[in-house]
Amino acid sequence: MLSPVLCSELSALEPEYTEADVISTVEFSQSGEFLATGDKGGRVVIFQREPQGEYNVYSTFQSHDPEFDYLKSLEIEEKINKIRWLPQLHSALFLLTTNDKTIKLWKVSERDKQPEGYNLKDEEGRVKDISKITSLQVPVLRPMDLLVEASPRRVFSNAHAYHINSISINSDCETYLSADDLRINLWNLSITDRSFNIVDLKPDNMEDLTEVITVAEFHPHHCHLLAFSSSTGTTRLCDMRSRALCDQHAKLFEEAVDPASRSFFSELISSVSDVKFSHSGRYLLTRDYLSAKVWDLNMEKKPVETYQVHDYLRSKLCTLYESDCIFDKFECAWNGTDSVIMTGAYNNFFRMFDRASRRDVTLEASREVCKRRAVLRPRRVCIGRKRRESDICVDSLDFRKKVLHTAWHPTDNIIAIAARNNLYIFQDRHSPSGHHGVHRIEQETAPQLEDTPPQ
Amino acid sequence: MEYKVEAHRIMSISLGKIYNSRVQRGGIKLHKNLLVSLVLRSARQVYLSDYYAGVCLNAQHIEAKEWELMDADREKLIPASEAAQPSSADCGVSEAAQPGQTRTTGGAQLCLKRHVGAEDGRASRLQEKDGDSLDPSDVAVTSPVSPAISETQCGSSDCETDADAAVTEGDSRQPPKDHACSHRKRSAEETGVSETPVKRTKVTPNAIVANNEIEEGEEMDTSNVSNLITIFGSGFSGLLSKDSAKSESETDDSDSGSGQICCEQMLKNLNPWTTAIVAF
Repeated sequence: MLSPVLCSELSALEPEYTEADVISTVEFSQSGEFLATGDKGGRVVIFQREPQGEYNVYSTFQSHDPEFDYLKSLEIEEKINKIRWLPQLHSALFLLTTNDKTIKLWKVSERDKQPEGYNLKDEEGRVKDISKITSLQVPVLRPMDLLVEASPRRVFSNAHAYHINSISINSDCETYLSADDLRINLWNLSITDRSFNIVDLKPDNMEDLTEVITVAEFHPHHCHLLAFSSSTGTTRLCDMRSRALCDQHAKLFEEAVDPASRSFFSELISSVSDVKFSHSGRYLLTRDYLSAKVWDLNMEKKPVETYQVHDYLRSKLCTLYESDCIFDKFECAWNGTDSVIMTGAYNNFFRMFDRASRRDVTLEASREVCKRRAVLRPRRVCIGRKRRESDICVDSLDFRKKVLHTAWHPTDNIIAIAARNNLYIFQDRHSPSGHHGVHRIEQETAPQLEDTPPQ
Repeated sequence: MEYKVEAHRIMSISLGKIYNSRVQRGGIKLHKNLLVSLVLRSARQVYLSDYYAGVCLNAQHIEAKEWELMDADREKLIPASEAAQPSSADCGVSEAAQPGQTRTTGGAQLCLKRHVGAEDGRASRLQEKDGDSLDPSDVAVTSPVSPAISETQCGSSDCETDADAAVTEGDSRQPPKDHACSHRKRSAEETGVSETPVKRTKVTPNAIVANNEIEEGEEMDTSNVSNLITIFGSGFSGLLSKDSAKSESETDDSDSGSGQICCEQMLKNLNPWTTAIVAF
């Protein structure tokens, strides 16, 4: 468990921000050296970890632009829904980004040398007067300021009639899947003009529609296994070896709903908003509106662990429905050793649950609370009266501030939290890198805050 | 009763969300609209389940008991027939009355009004029934408990709280109910159309002009709903033709009674409406 220290807060310089600056996805690269964020304006920002441990901006580029579908008279949002990194083979970085309709493969490469001494062109690139050329020279590479370029290498388009919600790269590093509300397609990273449909939930008569796909992901090790979750609260595991079209699931993970707890919104809150395989590949983590569940792939009947993220909202579902908050899709994450899970909540809170000790902590990511190199104090939401200074009443929660997107470094105890247009990066004070044996949770009496003057 | 109001409110909100999803950037989101339609269906089931349980069996019998219980609670020992007379008169007035008036009669009266409203032409039947002597043995003490009775009992005992609720929600309660009624009216099928005009003529003599707010509300939602139907296209072709036919007659109906009359047909036929919502 982390005792988080804020190491860098990277956000828009201007305090006022537009809707386009809202971060819509966060993803660490497979090595953890890079961190990518996508926002609603279609931009991607890549951060690189410095030797001191801080993340600084490495590259920024416009990935997607707003488009207009003239046939359906629909505007296609440029919001980046998901970013997935390819394993890094050499100096260049490759990542997949997607909006509602189009997936792009980007190559991000560095250039720190440029050729100088052309015969036909001068320094500014103007063509020389041939009559003035008296001798030949061989161009040489000279060092220049580091330039990071991003270029789209592949564009995978026109394969989805519905909104793409997830992409996932296969462990074979050659194929990847893209999922929309009703279908999942399998692509080859090199081929852009065709894809294979592997899951199709569209009924013949749309009036019979009962569920949509919410998230899909490949298994981290088995290239033939994929999992996808649905709006009905079920998660399916499909084996691509059994048949070409994986409409028949190999396993169905569903927990029986207690009929006594049924309400108008029971179906709504059971809709799964995120699915993540554990690093080991043994477990599945699913997030629905109020809870996070850990499933053992070998047991379909019920999850092995259930964590209530913000059960105090159960009595407020009607209000949340009116304000559309009930449709918020929270993501979840595993730590590198699969011992801790993390997910976001409202009021800029995010929660971490230690699976072994069953202890949990609630922390807040906001400018007011977080100072550089300060240790975060645990927060608590109380239903009745406040008992401590750090408590906050349920009715005081700000539902406009939500932590939907979180990411955990693949190996180290570093987490990235996106809160609206702000990105917070925290790392463990005690053991920032590598594995650690004993998990500690910050005690209620807060330790000394290590404040450094703002830069 | 509260959950019925709640169900009603949720239905209105859900329909509003579906309508607004049209103009959202990025197109209609299938996932969200599917979830909204599920909520709409749940709310409708709750709303209807009590309706059928309380109305279809022993409709008038139960209603008589409601009058009994209310009056018994308030004035303890008033004979049933006497109580029925002023109460029914109140009911006839208060159906379309200003919300302010309903406050004085208490929350239980509102509960009753809703029951009355949910049944077709109930007001007219009430008038006719006044002459009937109400058998004291019909009082709910010995009769099989029905959901309607138990609700009204609760309503009576919580008269004050309901009155408070009525004070705060009086204005909002009336229009949303009519909104929902007008929504459902649009979705009534062919069979519903033929029955509705008959019932409308029954109640019209008893109708009292409602406030402009209600009328405007109905018209506003009429246009909203008709737009909603047009965007769903051919699946609603039957509904579209009915809609245009009704829109003129709607403006004539200025009382909440007509909205209430149509409830039965509309609610029964909400199912195709719900499924069709999904079918875009």
